[in-house]
Amino acid sequence: MNLFGLLQISGTALLAQRERAEISASNLANADTTRTIEGGPYKRQNVVFAASHPFPSGFFATLAGFTDIHTQTVQVAGVVQDESAPTRRYDPGHPDADATGYVDFPNVNPVEESVNLMEAARSYQMNVSAIQTTKAMIQAAIQIAQ
Amino acid sequence: MSIMNTAQLTLLEKFLDLATARQSLLVSNIANVDTPGYRTQDMDFHGEMIRALSQDPGMPMIPVPREVPGLLSRPDGNNVSVDREGLLLAELQLKYQAATQAMRAEFALIRSVVSDAV
Repeated sequence: MNLFGLLQISGTALLAQRERAEISASNLANADTTRTIEGGPYKRQNVVFAASHPFPSGFFATLAGFTDIHTQTVQVAGVVQDESAPTRRYDPGHPDADATGYVDFPNVNPVEESVNLMEAARSYQMNVSAIQTTKAMIQAAIQIAQ
Repeated sequence: MSIMNTAQLTLLEKFLDLATARQSLLVSNIANVDTPGYRTQDMDFHGEMIRALSQDPGMPMIPVPREVPGLLSRPDGNNVSVDREGLLLAELQLKYQAATQAMRAEFALIRSVVSDAV
């Protein structure tokens, strides 16, 4: 593993954390959406992270030093829907109210989403620090020759 | 031992190689800070350094990664501690810079020998 390959590992984490923030933002934006294409209220989405060694073998993989097995990148393995029951609120005047006057609202908890968003931002920053450290090491190595 | 193959340079080269290997583990840990079930990986730097110096210089170094014991696991099975990784990241960066500085000094020494001879 060389130092340039490490930048790519941190890069995969930036990508994954950004996707997580995007999903969280979409959940917050749709916290009160009662109509979707699939019908029914919006359902909370959740990202699943998985560690992997996804770098293919070949010239570029070798160039980046991805030949040993213990380094692990992170990937979004999938986006899953939270199938928990919708929040029911009494609002007889609402066009989507059922016969009893209750409306199914999304199972999105704004507080939970805000915390998730903060966590994603912090993890993103942590990976940026890792990139800066790796960058400083590469620069130090370049300066040996000067 | 030739002029360009001093004991110090060999030592520093091995140190930089091992530091890079360790950095790769730290970066992996930080990348997987939110991956369920991921366990913190690290290596015995001191032990690996001794092993690298005792083996044949031409042999490639393959450090053995191991799970770090004694870290607090979260409910999802992940035990990456951001404090630990951040601290080690800063420490390793400074050590790496110290080693590259020492290497520059060593090369400056060799250069002064060469230029004096001319």
